Amino acid sequence: MTEYSRASLLADAPSGYCPGCLHSLATKLIAEVIDDLGQQDNSLNVISVGCSALNILYWGGDFLSVAHGRAPAAATGIKRTNPERLVFAYQGDGDLAAIGLAEIMSAANRGENFTVIFANNQTYGMTGGQMAPTTLIGQKTTTTVYGRDPATTGYPLKMCELISTLEAPRYVARFALNSPKGVNDARKGIKKAFEIQLAGKGFTFVELLTNCPTNWKLSPLDTLEYMNTNTIPYFRPGVYKDTEADAE
Amino acid sequence: MKTSFVFSGAGGQGIMSAGITLAQAAIDMGKHATYLPEYGPEQRGGSAKCTVVVSDDPIVSPLPRQCDNLIVMNAQAYEKFFEDLKPGGVLLTNLNRVAEANDRDDVRLLPVPVDDIALELGNPKTANIILLGVLTGATGIVSREIFVQSLTEKFGKKPEVLDMNIRALDKGIEIGKQYKA
Amino acid sequence: MGEKRFMKGNEAIAEAAVRGGCRFFAGYPITPQNEIPEYLSWRLPEVGGVYVQGESEVASVNMVYGAAAMGTRSMTSSSGPGISLKAEGISYLAAAMLPALIVNISRGGPGLGSIQPAQSDYLQATKALGHGGFHCMVFAPNSAQEAVDIVYDAWEYAERDRNPVLVLMDGCLGNIMEEVELPPMKERTDADIPEWSLSRRNGRDYQGNITPIYTEPILEGINMMAGEMYKQWEEDDVKVEEFMTEDAEYIVVAYGIASRVSKEAVLTLREKGVKIGLIRPITLFPFPKASLRDLDYSRVKGIIDVEMTIPAQMREDIELQVMGRCPVYEYGRSGGCLLDDDGVLEAIEEIIAGGNDE
Repeated sequence: MTEYSRASLLADAPSGYCPGCLHSLATKLIAEVIDDLGQQDNSLNVISVGCSALNILYWGGDFLSVAHGRAPAAATGIKRTNPERLVFAYQGDGDLAAIGLAEIMSAANRGENFTVIFANNQTYGMTGGQMAPTTLIGQKTTTTVYGRDPATTGYPLKMCELISTLEAPRYVARFALNSPKGVNDARKGIKKAFEIQLAGKGFTFVELLTNCPTNWKLSPLDTLEYMNTNTIPYFRPGVYKDTEADAE
Repeated sequence: MKTSFVFSGAGGQGIMSAGITLAQAAIDMGKHATYLPEYGPEQRGGSAKCTVVVSDDPIVSPLPRQCDNLIVMNAQAYEKFFEDLKPGGVLLTNLNRVAEANDRDDVRLLPVPVDDIALELGNPKTANIILLGVLTGATGIVSREIFVQSLTEKFGKKPEVLDMNIRALDKGIEIGKQYKA
Repeated sequence: MGEKRFMKGNEAIAEAAVRGGCRFFAGYPITPQNEIPEYLSWRLPEVGGVYVQGESEVASVNMVYGAAAMGTRSMTSSSGPGISLKAEGISYLAAAMLPALIVNISRGGPGLGSIQPAQSDYLQATKALGHGGFHCMVFAPNSAQEAVDIVYDAWEYAERDRNPVLVLMDGCLGNIMEEVELPPMKERTDADIPEWSLSRRNGRDYQGNITPIYTEPILEGINMMAGEMYKQWEEDDVKVEEFMTEDAEYIVVAYGIASRVSKEAVLTLREKGVKIGLIRPITLFPFPKASLRDLDYSRVKGIIDVEMTIPAQMREDIELQVMGRCPVYEYGRSGGCLLDDDGVLEAIEEIIAGGNDE
């Protein structure tokens, strides 16, 4: 018989994320992988700004809450001085792909030996649903009320594609959390990234396509279908770089 | 006793290293010294200036308005700084680049064809060592031995370079002595 | 006995930091402080420390935030424009109660200003190093030696208070070469890593966290604690040099490089029989209020604020203590034009002559 239990680093508190929000699932996956790897006391979560910051209420392990966009910089200070730790940053799309673009690209380019987990839900959830750097063309937000127009706002940034062009990163992959298979693959991807880090091999990046029922103004179930028809065709899941596999 | 020096010229003429060498030599002799560089945004070819204060007592201000000894290595530096020398001070000019230094009749003028002498010695880079030699000979601010010691520390591993620098120093001292007050 | 060396102010700061226990530096190039990162880029690895050249001032201060959270003695340095960029990060350090050393080798401002020395950042340093109404202890050494002594002990204050410390110098003092006596290396072990940090090397076996964000009423409590701490600094930590003030009718107030030029003027004027003295704040925050407040104003005829910036920025702090009991004058140079001995002397003589005419 299989026993199901709460991952040990998830605080014993009900999640405050909106109903149907995949942030909860992403956090749970990370905590489960840490249990799998026996890294409960050695892990350090660098918590960014946005809905991701709500993790300060639910994360039971060591964590450092940092400024908007600066998680890869803070993680650099942590990991360089304490290389034995399992360090990961959990960042949303506004945090990582807009205000923190310099920090993520530079940390990835330096090959910092930590993992960045990037929750991409194409909106600024915490501040009420403004356009994010990853908002899809035509997608309505509170600052693109007629839909995102590339003529004035450009195109959604594809972070996996950008980061995989760099020399230093060891593992770059994108998963969609809107299906059981996607969730299973994501769990494996996070585990693989952490294992590469624990082996001291370098920078790893896992993008998780998530949702925002509240700001997308869709029911949780409809967000999953929306992801199938809109998000996934633009942000293609897959492994963008895997220097381990390339070497084999 | 407090004595101030301003070294000035173009970037690449060894202005800054002359200033540091003098200050270090003064300290090696048990005196106090400050060295203050002034810098421009250009990395090469801009103007170079530094101020050195040497004193028997700890130095209060490193920022004199006028100096006791002004060393100018090119015409631009001369035009810019000739008023910054105290009456009665020493104006040491590079005769190869400052042809007519006739704006001050209240100072001791030491015109030395530094570039020519350096070329004769075989290396234009020794110009600043010649300058330090002239200052040593003319003012006695530091001793030859101290300079030789610091040159030996710097170039000890390259005997031919050391030899050339010592010859430059001695040539400068010889010239400086002619001007000794 | 320490070890004597003829060093540039910036390099002396860097070496003193290493000897004071600094093991992490992140920074970004900006004149006139470049010798600090350049020196630490090779020096820190020699002692098992870490140097990182950040992609920006913003990234650098946040790297320091991460390293400081691990209990590592950490620092960054910059000059005016870069300190503005670090302002957010310094505020976060204060909020998260993280010790760190910030060094500002200041230059002419505002804006890109000039790369030449100036004392243009007094107000930024003492009133608002970032948003949110916090303070750091601000030290303003006036020589390479004093900079060494202050930087060497900077983390003792920073860790005591769990608050960043600022050392404010100008480009003159950063670039001047002077003889310094270096103190011995502070040897520290994992047992010295603070228990509040996120390090596990000190044997901590429970989960911990550090955040710069709080819910009410916790934040109010933290604000109140900070307020108490600032008051305590005024009790315990004021550093000031009072020179020839006992019988002085005129008092020059100056810090950093301006204090050295001013002291030269005071010495010259004393030789001429002028009863003049100097008050030199070494801590700009906490400001040496008592030194100015408790002067005998039946004797003191005027206070002269000398700064290498225009208009003078320390003046309001002075006036708050003088409380109108004598006139307050100011003299300065600015924008990369340096103060000099004769200039300050003449300005003071003019002020005194003018004051006596009134």
